Amino acid sequence: MSETAAGRGWGGQDVRRELHSELLEINMGPQHPATHGVLRLLVRTDGEIVHGVTAHIGYLHRCAEKIAEGCDWRQWMVYTDRFDYLAPINMNFGYAVAVERMLGVKVPERAEHIRVICAELQRIASHLIAIGTFGLDMGAWTPLLYCFREREEILNILERLTGGRMLYNYFDIGGLRFDAYDGFERDVLAFVNIMEQKIPEYDTLLSYNKIFIERTADVGVIDLATCLAYGCTGPVLRGAGVPFDCRKDDPYSIYDRFEFDIPYGEGEQGTVGDCWDRYMVRMREMYESCRIIRQAVDALPGGPVKAEDLKKLVKVPQGSLYTRTESSKGEIGYHVFADGGSKPFRTKVRSPSFSNLHVIEKVGPGMMLSDLVATVGSLDIVLGEIDR
Amino acid sequence: MEATAIHALLQSRFGDAVSDYVDGFEKGSLVAAARVAEIAAFLRDDPALGFESLMCLTGLDWDGYDASGKGKSVDILGYDELGRPQASDRVGDGDLGVAYALYSHRHGHKHTLFVRVPRAAPEVASTAAVWPTAAWHEREAWDLVGIRFAGHPDLKRILLDEDWVGHPLRKDYAMPGDWQGVPLDGRDYAACKWDESGVTLPDDVKRPDEPKQPDETTRPETGNQG
Repeated sequence: MSETAAGRGWGGQDVRRELHSELLEINMGPQHPATHGVLRLLVRTDGEIVHGVTAHIGYLHRCAEKIAEGCDWRQWMVYTDRFDYLAPINMNFGYAVAVERMLGVKVPERAEHIRVICAELQRIASHLIAIGTFGLDMGAWTPLLYCFREREEILNILERLTGGRMLYNYFDIGGLRFDAYDGFERDVLAFVNIMEQKIPEYDTLLSYNKIFIERTADVGVIDLATCLAYGCTGPVLRGAGVPFDCRKDDPYSIYDRFEFDIPYGEGEQGTVGDCWDRYMVRMREMYESCRIIRQAVDALPGGPVKAEDLKKLVKVPQGSLYTRTESSKGEIGYHVFADGGSKPFRTKVRSPSFSNLHVIEKVGPGMMLSDLVATVGSLDIVLGEIDR
Repeated sequence: MEATAIHALLQSRFGDAVSDYVDGFEKGSLVAAARVAEIAAFLRDDPALGFESLMCLTGLDWDGYDASGKGKSVDILGYDELGRPQASDRVGDGDLGVAYALYSHRHGHKHTLFVRVPRAAPEVASTAAVWPTAAWHEREAWDLVGIRFAGHPDLKRILLDEDWVGHPLRKDYAMPGDWQGVPLDGRDYAACKWDESGVTLPDDVKRPDEPKQPDETTRPETGNQG
């Protein structure tokens, strides 16, 4: 923990003793811009020092899991878009893989490749938002505008591909709803060429900015044991120094064919598992996603994009399965219970942000209030996915 | 470690508390609800098992489940065409259940624990002390399915409001007709006329019975709940 987070002022004096006052309960949110959505954190503070954090969630709850019980297997795909509205394709991917594993369907090669390209484009788009808004939390306005510039290109490609700019509903059980348009590969490669040049630009703009490092290094340290205990996944777990990624360690789709590295936190600017490490994992992952996209575009075969032997109304055999895939926020899991019929009996969504937010109640106490903002920003939560 | 070996190890250690081996898409063990916490602690701490990670905790309602595998489970209740909550005189039966999907980073193996509890007394030992992430998942299972977790540090609703009535993911849950006095009136929006001047709601597609007027004196206080 940093000097300030430990309750030491800049002159080394014990802030806690000198500035001791009464405990004050303040609300951070639900309308506060630094909470990244409709989240309410009830913070008990003593001056600037946080003594306790309680997260109140559920403002976006739509009980999508109840809706699932009234939809057939294909219909519910459209609701998975709405969980993480910054990375809907990753949400689609998890559900599609979960149902396909239970059905035992072989997805056509072309569909698998387009899926991977879309998922990685989406991961970059989501990380761009994460990085941009994290910079915004730290008082850096400009990087957000740069990030949105590149994200716009991704949204344009996905709009041309699917018709939607935000919610795509593009994946289907057994493949994709329709094939890619002519020139899709060209657009994607053109974007990747630009993106790979932009990443060093962000580094000079934000990553190695002295003020940014002061605000994030050694702040909000979440160590490995805490990550495992609280079920933190994705960049939060990797930021704690573990190169764990479902794409490599629990392979799905065709990720085992591609060469890519798993970035992880090394404590380059401070302690392993601090806000800067989590931020930097995302930054490096964008580069790895570009690598995967290049390989997938190179290997993109022709052929159908739908499994042909699949009926319109699919019936999943009886049983249960927990399937996890790697979304931009972490491990998105679907625990599916099927009764052999055309509707899911029970579908539980294990959303990465749900567990990643939970940890704030553990690491929050003892921080300065401004470090709490930094930590929440570095967790990169999306409330649609927490509340479902 | 193979799932059968994990099951055998659990059975030799806990005897009757571990009953059936579940052999489906995912492999697991059916265990007794009251002893989940100690089984969980063993699963985490035993060096050969090392399940330090609880991936997912799912609460579910087995009411009306078609065990024959033909997919004839009961339909959930919803709203009719006019948006009125569907009524049913069917009384829910069947067990409630919890599933714990576990993963070991150390050994790379998975195992799923299944628990079934009677509907009349749905109480499961809390695993929040073993895997802290379970604390929120258990609150969710209490909120949406209505399973109590004995020994949970702070078992209260998490996604729904504190004053919500019922547990929506139960199969016999009846949809509410109003929310805190505000009627959820079922207008058929497809039958409404849309033009430049706005939307015209035809009278005949309104809710047939008069919406209940919210009464100031009986409306529950909704202030800031800490």
